[in-house]
Amino acid sequence: LKTKVVLNFSPEAANTPITHNLIAKHHLLVNILRAEIDEIGGKMVLELSGKADDIRKGIDYLKSNGVGVRPIKEGVRRDEDICTHCGMCVSICPTKALAFDSKTGKVTFTEEKCVACGVCIDACPPRAMEILI
Amino acid sequence: VSKSYDEIRKKTMNGDVVVMTAQEFKEYVKANGVKKAAKDVDIVTTGTFGAMCSSGAYFNFGHSDPPIKMQKVWMDGIPAYAGLAAVDAYLGATELDDTNNMMHGGAHVIEDLVRGKAVRLKATAYGTDCYPKKEIDTYVSLKTVNQAVLLNVRNCYQNYAVATNSGSRTLYTYMGKLLPEYGNATYSSAGELSPLLNDPYYRSIGIGTRIFLGGAQGFVIWEGTQFNPGVPRTPAGVPKRAAGSIAVIGDLKQMSSEFLRGLTFTRYGTSLGLGIGIPIPILDEEMARACAITDDQIVTAMFDYSQPARSRTVLKEITYAELRSGEIELKGKHIPTSSLSSLYKARQISQILKSQIQKGEFMMERPVQSLPMDRVFKALDVRTEKEAM
Repeated sequence: LKTKVVLNFSPEAANTPITHNLIAKHHLLVNILRAEIDEIGGKMVLELSGKADDIRKGIDYLKSNGVGVRPIKEGVRRDEDICTHCGMCVSICPTKALAFDSKTGKVTFTEEKCVACGVCIDACPPRAMEILI
Repeated sequence: VSKSYDEIRKKTMNGDVVVMTAQEFKEYVKANGVKKAAKDVDIVTTGTFGAMCSSGAYFNFGHSDPPIKMQKVWMDGIPAYAGLAAVDAYLGATELDDTNNMMHGGAHVIEDLVRGKAVRLKATAYGTDCYPKKEIDTYVSLKTVNQAVLLNVRNCYQNYAVATNSGSRTLYTYMGKLLPEYGNATYSSAGELSPLLNDPYYRSIGIGTRIFLGGAQGFVIWEGTQFNPGVPRTPAGVPKRAAGSIAVIGDLKQMSSEFLRGLTFTRYGTSLGLGIGIPIPILDEEMARACAITDDQIVTAMFDYSQPARSRTVLKEITYAELRSGEIELKGKHIPTSSLSSLYKARQISQILKSQIQKGEFMMERPVQSLPMDRVFKALDVRTEKEAM
């Protein structure tokens, strides 16, 4: 099973080797898609692969260490009323989460493919994209 | 076959005019040939929705008591040009406040008004015997002003460049975000749906042409600024570079935010996202042939925007079919492409225009004067007074 999660942690939690423990203690494959740490804490976007049970235990482990865990679906949001379907975002999206559907002429947003890198945010002329993490 | 404007207008009034969107017409020609299409179809509707920077709106606010001769005007903090009569002002789409906040420029204020919002109006003046008031701070909306008119000096470009970036850093341009090392390429024409690409020599689009403008009806009032019909063309006569453009006018009070949007191009500025649709009468086979053009027959040129020069060298000529495929090839590299103009909205506009004509709500006009074919695109050089004469 594979899942993408967004982590928010305090500066204290940043001192705990959480990714190491996810790998070593919970037998998960961890792909770090995005990581940022500053004086007020950190954010990380991880792709976790492993057994469903191990993933659940891994997420419980993170939560018990004061790390906020949210599904990636809550990483980037598109305001459907604002999007004009121009397509500016399509060529800069590294995972093709934003893609052009030539049949409908619309830009599709597949949240499962999004890694919340944020490259689309300031590229969107009508400002339809919002990053929540 | 040959049809006159009068015949087509009469058919429109009788309700038996045959209208197709540009997309439908191209398919019809493919299936039935140009001859039959020219005979069967009266009007083809085109459409585009894109960033059109040379746009703005003028207002007449009405007179205060005591009256003021507004010298400086701000609408929601954005300066408007007031060097006109007492309470007239023009707000440009790309105008910013004095902090250069690009999230909210003139275009956004125009959109807010169209959405029915009230906008804070501030004005200052030096005061005269006939206009004693020296400042005013109030709110206006489309309900309170006398006139609110969209007046754009260059819209609806006939073809445009493709932008890419060979440099090592991301560029923020009016063509959007350009990733380094040819990371992407952006283009901005609606291609085969674009009004002026379906009428390459401006036979039917001229001064007085009635158009769909921002959801309302407007008119072509002049050639657009930088009108440049003399660029290289394909054998079919379609310009391969930015060529013609139009100046347009329409009642802002009738427009809709669905087809009029404030846009932000990061670190460049603001622009107006605007929808324009133009009906093209199929007067004869030549018009039908022009409207039959498809994306694979429309060529444009790609330029390297990291070259900070007035005339950049052409990297490659490409068709809109290649651009629309999502990826183009340059020097063995595959470059993902992005459109800056909305195909979805372009189709929507051509569809709306078609149904308005069918219902007799939109009457196609014969232009009262053609656009000039002899214009050239001159540059601005630093010159002496004598050299400028």
